[in-house]
Amino acid sequence: MDAHRESLLAEFRQRQPHLVQLADEARARLDDALKQQGLQVAALEHRVKKEDSLAGKLERKGSKYHTLDDITDLLGMRIITTYTDDVDKVAAIVAQVFEVDWKESVDKRKLHELDSFGYNSLHYICRLPQGSAAPELCSLRFEIQMRTLLQHVWSVINHDTGYKSDVQIPREYLRQFNRIAGMLELIDDEFSRLRTSLSDYRRRMLSLVASGRLDEVELSVDTWHSYLETKPFERLNRRIAAVNQAEIIPASMEPYMPVLRHLGLLTLGDVQRFIEADADDAYLMAVSELAVTDLDILAESVGLQNLCFVHALKNGGGRASVTRILDLLNPNTDNTPLAEAIVRRAAALPFMQL
Amino acid sequence: MNTTIKEMNGELVAHMEGRLDTAAAAQTEKDLQPLNDCEGKNIVLDCNALEYISSSGLRLFLGVLKAAKAKGSRVFITGMNNDIRNVFAMTGFTNLFEFR
Repeated sequence: MDAHRESLLAEFRQRQPHLVQLADEARARLDDALKQQGLQVAALEHRVKKEDSLAGKLERKGSKYHTLDDITDLLGMRIITTYTDDVDKVAAIVAQVFEVDWKESVDKRKLHELDSFGYNSLHYICRLPQGSAAPELCSLRFEIQMRTLLQHVWSVINHDTGYKSDVQIPREYLRQFNRIAGMLELIDDEFSRLRTSLSDYRRRMLSLVASGRLDEVELSVDTWHSYLETKPFERLNRRIAAVNQAEIIPASMEPYMPVLRHLGLLTLGDVQRFIEADADDAYLMAVSELAVTDLDILAESVGLQNLCFVHALKNGGGRASVTRILDLLNPNTDNTPLAEAIVRRAAALPFMQL
Repeated sequence: MNTTIKEMNGELVAHMEGRLDTAAAAQTEKDLQPLNDCEGKNIVLDCNALEYISSSGLRLFLGVLKAAKAKGSRVFITGMNNDIRNVFAMTGFTNLFEFR
């Protein structure tokens, strides 16, 4: 090893503790900033270069580096986003948190010719802002790579199979890599487009729920959740709870989605009408059972459950439909005896006499 | 009311016998304490010999469910008689637990 390389390695050994400190500081600032902006990333990783890795780099292209400061990735950080749109958001956050050396930073995404595909990543060379930490930390540069999960996958596989290799990779294999890169870029864009479309759909549905145009809102997991925020069963639950001054405990209503579909309810408008039409009978049904007990704890789903039983019975579904409802809620047990008991007790209620 | 807990096939099985009413709830709560250390093992509440459950019993069952979920365990109820299943249905507890 020549004297120049040896002196760079010696300087690196001295600098290592500062690099470790810098890594912790920069990582903490990034974590905070991403959290504040509510941006979830797939991974945030960092590493201080190992001495043997630096020695290898100096071996390969040592003449390029006059001083240790010329090597910008002694500390490297990598932010991996799930969606391609988020790479630019992350970049904006990085530029707010750190001082970016724009001359040295590279957007590899823009380096490709129109007809070429390959390594797609955004590289910023950064420093902690002057005065925001000890001078020996603020003077050090570090590299932040920002890319999507799929770009990362491509990069890892590309690195694993060829990079730093002494063997020249044949053109046909390079072409194959590039074809895959092109495909992944397309998939990245499609995932982003899908996310945007889903967000638009959710916003549209929420606004329809808010404006009360429930007949236009298809019953789905998302719209059901939004609808539940309007607490449509609260009044019925309170009426039922009043019978025994019962406590109402939270319960998930999600398992009722297939039940509502079984009952033929396709829109939130259908659900709203189902509540309006059957709430009084559901109350009577619940009371006829609870009033002769001292049960003073009820699940939040009690109103909805009775509504479903009443709706099934009023529409001629009989024992089979009640059994089906119970099967949808509890698939791994024989629900027939319970369904029979529910139908038997309901037989005396006014809505069954009509 | 008599409660015993055994480990069977990697699950913690609580055999419950008698009437789980308000009077029995305090002792049963103590007897069920070991279930809090389930550490990821699933829990089975064996109700084959359980004759009756009151609101206090339902609260105990809920406590077991809450503690188990926090540790990533599931709670199954098995062998409930028709009266107890009716209590679960009346109170809307039908879909809170998994039955076997």
